[in-house]
Amino acid sequence: MKIVKLKKDNLFPFLEAIKGDAELWAPVKKDDAKHTFQPVDDFSQIDLDYTRTILPPRKILLPAKFNMYQASKSEFTSDFSHISKKIIFGIHPCDIHAFLTMDKFYSYEIEDPYWLEARKNLVLLGHSCWPDENCMCKSTNTHVVEEGYDLFFTDLEDTYVVWIGSSRGDDLIREKPELFEEDLTDTDIQKFIQRRENRDKAFTTEINFAAMPDLMELKYNDALWEKLGDACLACGSCTNVCPTCNCYNVEDRPVLGKDFSNIQRCWDACTLENYSGVAGGENFREKRADRLKLWYTHKLQSYISKYGKPACVGCGRCVATCPVDINVKTVAQSLDGNEVDSFWDRLSKEVTK
Amino acid sequence: MSKNNDKKLKIGIYELTGCAGDGLLILDCEMELVDIFQAADIQSFLMAKSDNIDGELDIALVEGSVSTEREIEELKDIRKRAQVVVAFGLCATHGGIQARFSEEEWQKNLKEVYGDIEMSHTKAVHSKPIDEYIDVDLYLPGCPVSKDQFLNFLVRALGGSPPEVYPNPVCVTCKYNENDCLLLKGIPCLGPLTADGCGAICPNHNVPCYGCWGPAEGANFTSEFYLLQEKGFDMEAIKKRMANYSGTKLQEFFEKFKKESQ
Repeated sequence: MKIVKLKKDNLFPFLEAIKGDAELWAPVKKDDAKHTFQPVDDFSQIDLDYTRTILPPRKILLPAKFNMYQASKSEFTSDFSHISKKIIFGIHPCDIHAFLTMDKFYSYEIEDPYWLEARKNLVLLGHSCWPDENCMCKSTNTHVVEEGYDLFFTDLEDTYVVWIGSSRGDDLIREKPELFEEDLTDTDIQKFIQRRENRDKAFTTEINFAAMPDLMELKYNDALWEKLGDACLACGSCTNVCPTCNCYNVEDRPVLGKDFSNIQRCWDACTLENYSGVAGGENFREKRADRLKLWYTHKLQSYISKYGKPACVGCGRCVATCPVDINVKTVAQSLDGNEVDSFWDRLSKEVTK
Repeated sequence: MSKNNDKKLKIGIYELTGCAGDGLLILDCEMELVDIFQAADIQSFLMAKSDNIDGELDIALVEGSVSTEREIEELKDIRKRAQVVVAFGLCATHGGIQARFSEEEWQKNLKEVYGDIEMSHTKAVHSKPIDEYIDVDLYLPGCPVSKDQFLNFLVRALGGSPPEVYPNPVCVTCKYNENDCLLLKGIPCLGPLTADGCGAICPNHNVPCYGCWGPAEGANFTSEFYLLQEKGFDMEAIKKRMANYSGTKLQEFFEKFKKESQ
């Protein structure tokens, strides 16, 4: 691995040089508060002072709705038209880890051509971050990345230390080598180490993820799930904002006046009632508690036995999103035997009073 | 118009009590209007044409709620003539704003507005969704229904398939659009309780969802009720907001809360 240095003033000239005909996606501030990944032409829109975006960057590879293929009575034609060369700049370690998890998921036994093709066309430029009270990535061990990016920018006040993570990343640097410095000084190294230590101390939320598979098993019939089910608004938001959620629905969209249908793939969420509905009007998980149990089994238990780490990458989006406080933080803390201050807990006392 | 009209689906579009916004939406499909009229035999559509025929139909789209005795008769006649009756728009599916009152409140309102005058041509009745009077085969909610929903319904019907329903709450599209959740900001948004299909147009503009597509299937009214109460909203205000577009379909729920609050 090679490390170079980039003065902050040289960042935009560098992005300009490598952009070419690719679409560059970066965090942009929305409504004075939350951030979203957006395609940017004007780099001054980029705002790197963010903790997490509302939706995870998987939306850039697999949009909420896209045509998979067109089907007529006699043939079907694959449609990859939504895929183009893209660069994601400013992605944080947790989201890079999520991409690595999705890579495994989408190539396990059956390959998903839409994910893999989009991935081939993607350049990932990571960026360092600072945790807030909802970041759990230190607990999931996804707060640092060793692979999965082309370049990774660590913010050291007026300079970036840039880690080159792939040969493609190395090629990008060679587009404008004059913008970079090869030699890191002792001061740079000291600053880097100090930053890492300070950041490690800044995490305030610790979750015992190692205990979760056992606790999920032991508390599968715990009253907790009913409490959560009573409060859950079944809005699907936890699922839609999760960087490792991947379920989708496929809809036939016949076109008026034409003899073909667009076969559309759209995000789906196991926390929504209709998700488990089958022909004949039956539903395997009509109860909200059952659906939540499934989601948390995936996030806290089953991926660990299959991939060696939880599906949760600790990004804290579910914490920042659920209006009734059902999220990995409160659920894991509760499974671990803690009293949790949350709407769902207060509601359970309200309803049973 | 093509000559083999006989083979085309015979469709009638009818308007009971409402703002006629759903019928207007069909006319607003300007790019598709020629295709629509070519693909189907539109037998009756008062807003769009004058040569209307009240005969046998494959599909009747009925907009509006039932608010007069004459409308009850008209609706029953449509049911007799049509193979498939579709409740088209919120007033037909849920009763609309005019159905938000209890029978008692409605009686009071009627008297307040019209006094004791005798109506000669028909008699007003408590506004109700059309399935209070006839069997309804399909429901397309919305205030108004969306173009995408209507066109998708039509093109699937032409191919003999049932419509794709919108089974999810507004929050799903709202999140796709990356809106910051209004409930988290303490704004009384009905997104989690309301059927999707509008594209989350209100939250997209920072305006809370008012529930105009009617209640989403499986919506958790109890939780949202307590959530809004915790955020400091008055019970009556929450009830009013929830009742605005849910017509007669939520009365049981409100009865329960009425008992609890006594």
